[in-house]
Amino acid sequence: MNDPAQVHDLEQELFVKREKIYPREVHGLFAWLRNAAALTLLGVYYGLPWLPWQGRQAVLFDLPARKFYIFGMTFWPQDFFYLAALLIIAALSLFFFTALAGRLWCGYACPQTVWTEIFLWIERRIEGDRPQQMRLDRAPWSARKIAIKGSKHAAWLALALWTGFTFVGYFTPIVELGHKVITLSTGPWESFWLLFYGLATYGNAGWLREQVCIYMCPYARFQSAMFDKDTLIISYDPARGEPRGPRRRGLRPASVGLGDCVNCKMCVQVCPTGIDIRQGLQYQCIGCAACVDACDDIMERMGYAKGLIRYTTERAVTGGRTHLIRPRIVIYAMLLAALVTAFVVGLTQRLPVGLDVIRDRNALFRETNEGMIENVYTLKILNKDARTHRYRLSASGIDGLALLSDAAEHTLPAGAVLEVPVTLRADPAVLARRSTDVTFHLDAIDEPRIATTEAARFLGPGGLPR
Amino acid sequence: MAISRTQRVISILWPSFLVAAGATIVFFSIFDPAALLALTPYAELDRLAGYSIGFFAFWLLAAASSLLTCYFQRPTTPRRNVAP
Repeated sequence: MNDPAQVHDLEQELFVKREKIYPREVHGLFAWLRNAAALTLLGVYYGLPWLPWQGRQAVLFDLPARKFYIFGMTFWPQDFFYLAALLIIAALSLFFFTALAGRLWCGYACPQTVWTEIFLWIERRIEGDRPQQMRLDRAPWSARKIAIKGSKHAAWLALALWTGFTFVGYFTPIVELGHKVITLSTGPWESFWLLFYGLATYGNAGWLREQVCIYMCPYARFQSAMFDKDTLIISYDPARGEPRGPRRRGLRPASVGLGDCVNCKMCVQVCPTGIDIRQGLQYQCIGCAACVDACDDIMERMGYAKGLIRYTTERAVTGGRTHLIRPRIVIYAMLLAALVTAFVVGLTQRLPVGLDVIRDRNALFRETNEGMIENVYTLKILNKDARTHRYRLSASGIDGLALLSDAAEHTLPAGAVLEVPVTLRADPAVLARRSTDVTFHLDAIDEPRIATTEAARFLGPGGLPR
Repeated sequence: MAISRTQRVISILWPSFLVAAGATIVFFSIFDPAALLALTPYAELDRLAGYSIGFFAFWLLAAASSLLTCYFQRPTTPRRNVAP
């Protein structure tokens, strides 16, 4: 065993080489649901960037300008809070639905599943069904095989590049991007991300497929922590199915000493991750319910009751009653409801204005010829609204505090930022301390609802003997 | 247990990619790449270049950390038995 070559061989053996999975096409209720979900999600993904809204793209994450447009709303980096809240809500929803109904996300909504479905669909249209695909792969290379494989990869690449183009279209106005692509004048980073995302789609949905779920997905590794005995899972009913075995159609299973499972292996053939659901719940199972449809079809043909493989819970399979309402579900639901409410309220109450105060760092304060104390600031006004506003600045916190600025009011077009140098002047007689808290007020003259304040410090000689 | 080379490479590149994506979003929502680039000799680069460089820098850092983790996970050489 000390021979390095031998050790190397052993390593190679221990690493089981992946066998290609050829999922058989399946029809039925859950296949229909899965297709409906996939078409809806793909429609949204490919269609959304083309939707116009008040003269610009409805959904545009304008990174170069650091502004996110989502329909009528504009988000700034200062609104990062909302993104963080949204991510927390998304994570919590995932926990909630996983605890309730298992891997709904994996089976119906995950981009990996959705794009794998569409890539499989293309493969079936070009290479034929499962037996035809397997025969083609076993066959030696010929002109026909090259033509079939070539057109499949061409179709995959075309869709993948369109996916990459759409992805970049969320960050660059997609109509302009389209013109640039046609004239081959996309910028270096646009081209890079288009190809990167496109090739990632091609690799993940065309080649890696279930390996992404099994080896690369973090969620697949920890989702079982959200499972309990009352979580909806896809399960084979061994009490009903065993002992399994083939038999002639029309025979009652009990009369030949068998269970309902005819061991046709349809559930294995349709599985996109290549597992046998009859071996129990496995972490490779993405909950797509393809085996449910396949088995129901067989049971119907055999004249047996459907549901040998079905959506059920661990408790129901072992003869108990499933509890829908349980502490975990209630806690997730309450947290989720509270967060969603806070998010929506926050969003509707969000003021489309921002005010930043920067103190002049060169001088703490200065004294005028009349003996007044002055502090200098730079105020940064942000108009986050979609239209022009006129603003007025004022300050409070000290008796007789005066705000000096070069203009009485400031007009800012939509999305503009303005830096206003401002001087505050106060009488030293009313300054009790060296540092006094003051407040800047910014009010939109044309819309009283839009008003904000920002705290600052006014420094003076206060406390010194006079 | 032996782990294949491919799997080892993926276990370095993939988690660091995920972490880099998260770090890029958080970092650049707080700091403006144009403002950061202005302090460097590369001030003529635009924001998109800033984001991309930032992402790859995060990826590289995270991958370096994953690489070291993988390296230190390897068992140390066993003590040699010295004949009496």
